[in-house]
Amino acid sequence: MSEPAVPVSALPGSDAGTRSRVAVGVMCLSGLLAYPLLLSPYQMDVARDALIFALLALSLDFLWGKAGMLSFGQAAYFGIGAYAVAIIGPMVPSANAALAGLAVGIGMSILVAGSVGYFLIYGGVRGPYLTVVTLALTLIARNIATAWASVTGGEAGLIGAPSPGISIGGWSVVATDSVSLYLLVALVLAAVLLVVWLLCRGRYGRILVAIQDDEGKARSLGYDTSGHLLLVFVASGAIAALAGGLYTSVAGYVAPDLVGLLLSTQAIVHVALGGRGTLVGPVIASVVAIRLQQEVSSYSYALWPLLLGAFFIAMVFLFPNGLFPLFQRLFDMLFRRHGKGGPHG
Amino acid sequence: VYLELALNILTTVSILMLIALGLAIVFGLMNILNMAHGELVTIGAFTVSLVQAHGGGFWLGVLAAMAVGAAFGLALERGLIRFLYDRPMGVILATWGVSLIIQQALLLSFGPSPQIVFAPVEGSLDLFGYEYPRYRLILIAATLVTVVATALVMTRTRFGLDLRTVIQNREVAELLGIDTRRVFMIAFAGSSALAALGGALVAPMSKVLPTMGAEYLAPSFFVVIVGGAGSLAGTAAGSAVIGGLRTILDYQVPSTLSQALVLIASIVIVRFRPRGLVPA
Repeated sequence: MSEPAVPVSALPGSDAGTRSRVAVGVMCLSGLLAYPLLLSPYQMDVARDALIFALLALSLDFLWGKAGMLSFGQAAYFGIGAYAVAIIGPMVPSANAALAGLAVGIGMSILVAGSVGYFLIYGGVRGPYLTVVTLALTLIARNIATAWASVTGGEAGLIGAPSPGISIGGWSVVATDSVSLYLLVALVLAAVLLVVWLLCRGRYGRILVAIQDDEGKARSLGYDTSGHLLLVFVASGAIAALAGGLYTSVAGYVAPDLVGLLLSTQAIVHVALGGRGTLVGPVIASVVAIRLQQEVSSYSYALWPLLLGAFFIAMVFLFPNGLFPLFQRLFDMLFRRHGKGGPHG
Repeated sequence: VYLELALNILTTVSILMLIALGLAIVFGLMNILNMAHGELVTIGAFTVSLVQAHGGGFWLGVLAAMAVGAAFGLALERGLIRFLYDRPMGVILATWGVSLIIQQALLLSFGPSPQIVFAPVEGSLDLFGYEYPRYRLILIAATLVTVVATALVMTRTRFGLDLRTVIQNREVAELLGIDTRRVFMIAFAGSSALAALGGALVAPMSKVLPTMGAEYLAPSFFVVIVGGAGSLAGTAAGSAVIGGLRTILDYQVPSTLSQALVLIASIVIVRFRPRGLVPA
């Protein structure tokens, strides 16, 4: 590889302020992940689903926040993963059933995202155009889920998806109770978050920032910008499929209601609310927003979509960077006031 | 049988053209995507149904739909979009919010069951020994009239000249003293009126539901992407490709599969003609 070096001064995350912010982020997140363990099994299941949607939001933030491509297609990949586990899983008799389904789902997702992304991204399609094509992906995924009833179970969906488990040689373990399922989901989320964060923190993240800033310039510096964008597009689809497969596996069923524009919309809201490109922000925002959604829906079922719509408009005008960065700035202010050796003074 | 196929293709292409025309003009002009475009189609269909429910005729309803659509587009442009011309992503998100609100508001006030719209004519016409529904022929004719009228406005009027100048080069247009903001406003209102007209005209042949607009949103975007933004010829070419392919495939394979195949075809076309079949 003869890619040009980036000056070290451009390296984010090396000053004291960032380090303490990371520390607080980790603390908040571990608190958030550990808290539901104290709750009743039912509430733990609810929290578990919220974490799966947080994983979906994370997949979108990787794509939208780090590579600047807004996608309405996350629900399509989520659906591929979800249905793969429900369809392939029961065919595999061992404890590896869910894993097999997940592998097939993620593989198919990579195939779909890879071929769609190849034609579009190398065809020079960017920005709004790309968003519209991903919208169509979700619409088609929904149609397939409802119309291809012999395989997908139609409107009724499929039940009997295998629980997550693993078997190596004679040893096998399957997670079935609420606590272990919750821990499993929390671990997967934390692991994916860590990987994406490390990836974006280093050199690769800076390449993506350069592409977002000015793709033409990044290309003339010698980067294969289309290749990098395609890679993120495919990786994001794979993470979304992982979220979908995980959902089916822990919930035990899948229904077409799950796959649709509403799910994609929800992921966009979580990312926007948490702050695009912050990775941790969308994860926290998902959990908070899903809790809020339950409250609002128990009060009036029709109110939530109206609030969602109003939120989109408010977001564009009032807080284009999301709410999480506001908290971050607040924290920085506090930090600078109390700690005397602050980063800037 | 071939005549039937040809007429069915013409019907689908007509509907697509009516709805995509406004979208193509707005996108070519201002480079923004209006995600609430589908809801303008819905509003057009609901307006006709309301006018008919209160004893008005179908054509009165169509006129009312255009007026309501234009008023709505004007309100949307003045109230929201004019602040966001330099933020295309902001427009997508804000208009998506508008679309969610309109869908839910219509659902709350009219309920989930389909509204009823009567066609102005019943029965079918004998065409060379083949029976074809009269209303579909009227739809095709109405589309033709609309497209010709839009073409005349774009080529023969002062506004049309301004519009085409802005599409070609916004800076130069401003240097020439064209009030681009005014052009945007009128074009947006006009595009909304066209979408509402499309909705009003398809209302007798489809289920008039609060969510009906979403079905037209993605296909009409594809028409714009495949055909090329900002030109009538591009919209016509795009509609012909998408609508024609869809109708022919619907005869051979299940509707879901044909939808997916049309998507694949459009994506492949975009790869080789990134600026559309007929760029502006």
